[in-house]
Amino acid sequence: MLLRIIVWAILAFLLVPLLIIILFSFHASPALSFPFAGFSLRWYEELFGNAQLASAVIKSLTIALLTALVTLLLGATASLAWLRFGRAGRGMIEALTVTPIALPGLFVGVSLLVLFAQSGTQLSTATIVIAHVVIAIPILIVAMKARLALFDPSLEEAARDLGASQMQTFARVTLPLIAPTLIASAILAFAVSFDEFVVTSFVAGTETTLPMYIWSMMRRTVTPLVNAISTLALFFSIAILVASWLIGQARRRSAIAGRLEQLEPLP
Amino acid sequence: MSLSRTRTGALLATPTILYMLVFFVVPSLILFAYSFWSSASYRIVPDFQFENYLGSLASPVFWKVTFNAIRIGLFTAAMTLILSIPVGYYLVYVSRSQTMLYLILITWFSSYLVRIYAWRTLLGTNGVLNTLLLQLGVIDHPVSAFLFSPFAVTITLVHIYLPFCILLVVSSLSEIKRDLVDAARDLGTSSIGAFFKVIAPNAANGLVGAFMLTFILVAGDYVTPQMLGGSSGQTTGLLIADQFRKTGNWPLGAAQAFLMFGVSIILYVVITALGRATGLIVKRRAKTEREI
Repeated sequence: MLLRIIVWAILAFLLVPLLIIILFSFHASPALSFPFAGFSLRWYEELFGNAQLASAVIKSLTIALLTALVTLLLGATASLAWLRFGRAGRGMIEALTVTPIALPGLFVGVSLLVLFAQSGTQLSTATIVIAHVVIAIPILIVAMKARLALFDPSLEEAARDLGASQMQTFARVTLPLIAPTLIASAILAFAVSFDEFVVTSFVAGTETTLPMYIWSMMRRTVTPLVNAISTLALFFSIAILVASWLIGQARRRSAIAGRLEQLEPLP
Repeated sequence: MSLSRTRTGALLATPTILYMLVFFVVPSLILFAYSFWSSASYRIVPDFQFENYLGSLASPVFWKVTFNAIRIGLFTAAMTLILSIPVGYYLVYVSRSQTMLYLILITWFSSYLVRIYAWRTLLGTNGVLNTLLLQLGVIDHPVSAFLFSPFAVTITLVHIYLPFCILLVVSSLSEIKRDLVDAARDLGTSSIGAFFKVIAPNAANGLVGAFMLTFILVAGDYVTPQMLGGSSGQTTGLLIADQFRKTGNWPLGAAQAFLMFGVSIILYVVITALGRATGLIVKRRAKTEREI
């Protein structure tokens, strides 16, 4: 079928460049060309002795973790608010939180830079985290919105009618329903932060994150080391994505199990 | 203690709203204020003058790089949308392949810099494409023009923004009922005919939205043109970024950022008006209006 061939060709266009990077990261010679001179782990060995790289990775992991935590907290409260708002309130939350996704990183980066300069804030790890949260929140809100549309508010009302306090309703009813999507979104926030480059380059000051380190390497020379770092970063992103997918699956399975229980006739 | 639903909601929304106000709205406003300030010998002076705007609009360099950004943006966004549509159609109407969706997500979440680097590797003088073509005998000496050309910039940008655009197209196509497509197919329309007669008119708003969002992100991307376009890759984004990193004339950079923003809005209005005039975009009832 023609459509099928076209679609897989487009997918190949997306995937082949990444596969070539992975392939050359195992190349025994520094040449980035065919014929392939054999497999070797020499570039990976070189990487593991690199102290600068190690500190950049640790910095990026720290920033990504903090970004995910802040985004999770803000996302959780915003989601609970979303469930309690009417059309107007939801529209306002959305306008305020989703807009940054439609702006180039450049705009977000320079506007935060002028804010920090104007308020005399020293550029540091904290300013990077602040910037990353601004980019991660829109993604979380978009993901949560789709899930919350399926949320049945009468479940909360039922719990309240049965005498549960507000805190009990939250802990036993609302939280278990929204938690898997929230956690999956927080993992995505982690991935976005770990990879962010454009905004970071404006608010990082003298800090070096992994993408900034890769950038400085790319600019200096075309070294096969970049292939090895890229491959590791790629597998790391895939691992994060798989983790978020598995959590999503668990949610779906528990939801389906819940439905089945409802459908089964009582003995 | 029992608060009303909306009161509790307002309380819960406060942290996020405050966060976005302080770190998104306020910075944008400061940037806007900056665009009227002046910069003299590396000192930024609060002021209210239009010199930054007028000077940029009168500068041939500004227009040259802006046209370059718009050209790259429009061409890339068009290519990206054209490639997204068959994939979106396939994912929505033919096979809800989870594997394919996750392959697309993986490319979306694979590093931005890695993808730029991948295309440099592929297109370089000693790169994969050149050596392959040499061995096949298609060319007899390496073509240096693959890299640092508008071609290299466009193919890389399409590669970077395609996954995002596919997801936008999937979400806009998902809202068109499958029955409509099936009915058209049953009545003897080809799948291409069904697309143009049934899907395109219904999804037009979503597709134009996907096109514009891709355009704005591509036109504002200055790293890819710089890394793959060489001297042909000068765009407004690079000009603005350099004002903030090298030259130090922040007010001028701020004004240029807002000019670029203005250009995007004008283009959006023009494209929507063109769509309406040609009947491609039909105003839909408020009830079926889609939300991004």
